[in-house]
Amino acid sequence: MESCVSLTNLNKWFGSFQVLDSINLSISIGEKVVICGPSGSGKSTLIRCVNALEPFQSGSVNVCGISVEKNGRNATDIQRRVGMVFQQFNLFPHLSVLKNCTLAPCRVLGLSDDEAESKAMHYLERVRIPEQASKYPADLSGGQQQRVAIARALTMEPELMLFDEPTSALDPEVVTEVLDTMVDLAETGMTMICVTHEMGFAKQVADRVVFMDEGKIIEIATPEKFFSEPTHERTKFFLSRVLG
Amino acid sequence: MFDLRFYEIWREQVFVEKLINGIGTSVSLMILGGIIGFIFGLALATARGSKIGLLRIPSAAFIESIRNTPLIVQLFFVCFGLPMIFEYRWPFFASALLALCLNFSAYYAEIIRAGFENVEYGQSEAARALGLGKNDILAYIVLPQALAKVYPSLVSQFVFLFLTTGIISEVGVEDLTWAGRYIADRNFRDFEVFIVLTIAYALLSVIFRGVLTATGQLVFPWNREK
Repeated sequence: MESCVSLTNLNKWFGSFQVLDSINLSISIGEKVVICGPSGSGKSTLIRCVNALEPFQSGSVNVCGISVEKNGRNATDIQRRVGMVFQQFNLFPHLSVLKNCTLAPCRVLGLSDDEAESKAMHYLERVRIPEQASKYPADLSGGQQQRVAIARALTMEPELMLFDEPTSALDPEVVTEVLDTMVDLAETGMTMICVTHEMGFAKQVADRVVFMDEGKIIEIATPEKFFSEPTHERTKFFLSRVLG
Repeated sequence: MFDLRFYEIWREQVFVEKLINGIGTSVSLMILGGIIGFIFGLALATARGSKIGLLRIPSAAFIESIRNTPLIVQLFFVCFGLPMIFEYRWPFFASALLALCLNFSAYYAEIIRAGFENVEYGQSEAARALGLGKNDILAYIVLPQALAKVYPSLVSQFVFLFLTTGIISEVGVEDLTWAGRYIADRNFRDFEVFIVLTIAYALLSVIFRGVLTATGQLVFPWNREK
């Protein structure tokens, strides 16, 4: 199967602290991968290297057929092809929901306002909030804001979507609406990498689960295998904590 | 008992004309100086936040030298000092306007810079993740939010600077303060004249503040208290 992301021997340090330690991971087009692990294990840093938000020191990162340069010089080439959803939503508070979605397609892809708007409305309908298009982000609930963030990323029609703990900042009762949106998206065949602690989502959607600790990939397995018969002690301990 | 004679101001038509012209001069200097100073200030703030030393260091030096010297010295320097070297003769109004623009720009630059620093890092990061370039991020994401955050401070600074513009009467610009002195020198009613000036400045300040605040609500509609 053709690969969408390929990380080879990726190393990254923050000063003298090694956050990513010899990471090797290949993700095929259409594949859904969930990354989990304790906090500080390097999961967020890993996906931030995939869309060139973070520079790295050694190894290679290949995304959508483009080799990411270590210093991030070709970052925008990657970023226009890769969508990202953040824990804190990071919607632009000064722009309406619709403008949040259309800004990048207009400025980066050179779409006309009309084209961008109809595309944005299409994705806002997909995340089931077209009626909020003219509102400002501050007028929406957290769950709605995160769904707008998903629509905003999708309006760029990315080849790959990254999710960095998309439900961690949400009230428990709205987590499901965001997860349902992500499940819907997965069903369309989008390639997805999700950093999340939502193990139910991992079981339902993931093709593979990656478990990380201290900057290393400890275990990669299908969800069935990962949850029922984890091989490493560290994974068992983590699962016992997370699944309770 | 001191007896108030405000009619000593109104009875001479030339006094009234000087007052009205003075208000016109003060207000137009302030509006021009405010707008040009704001644009300079924006450029200075951007330059001071730049990674390029050739932009950052001169702009920081300029801002600090303006903020640490009195306006009147800057005014004399622009009106009498610079023309000696560059051999130009400008009308006093133009020289005074230049001095005010330079002065305002330094204060605005510092306020705008504070605004830049207060925009959350996640905002430019989210913009980068969408593929937006540096200039687009500055123009569409960081700048509007920075200005919205410091808009009330910019308005206060504007009004405060308006109140300092009386100094330009020192170089013969016929502003509101100059008109007051012109009248008081002739009718010796200093108390009445400066009461009138006080009220005029206060009213103009209130009007400026009101107009600017209303403008802010139009320009930054998302920036309201909930």
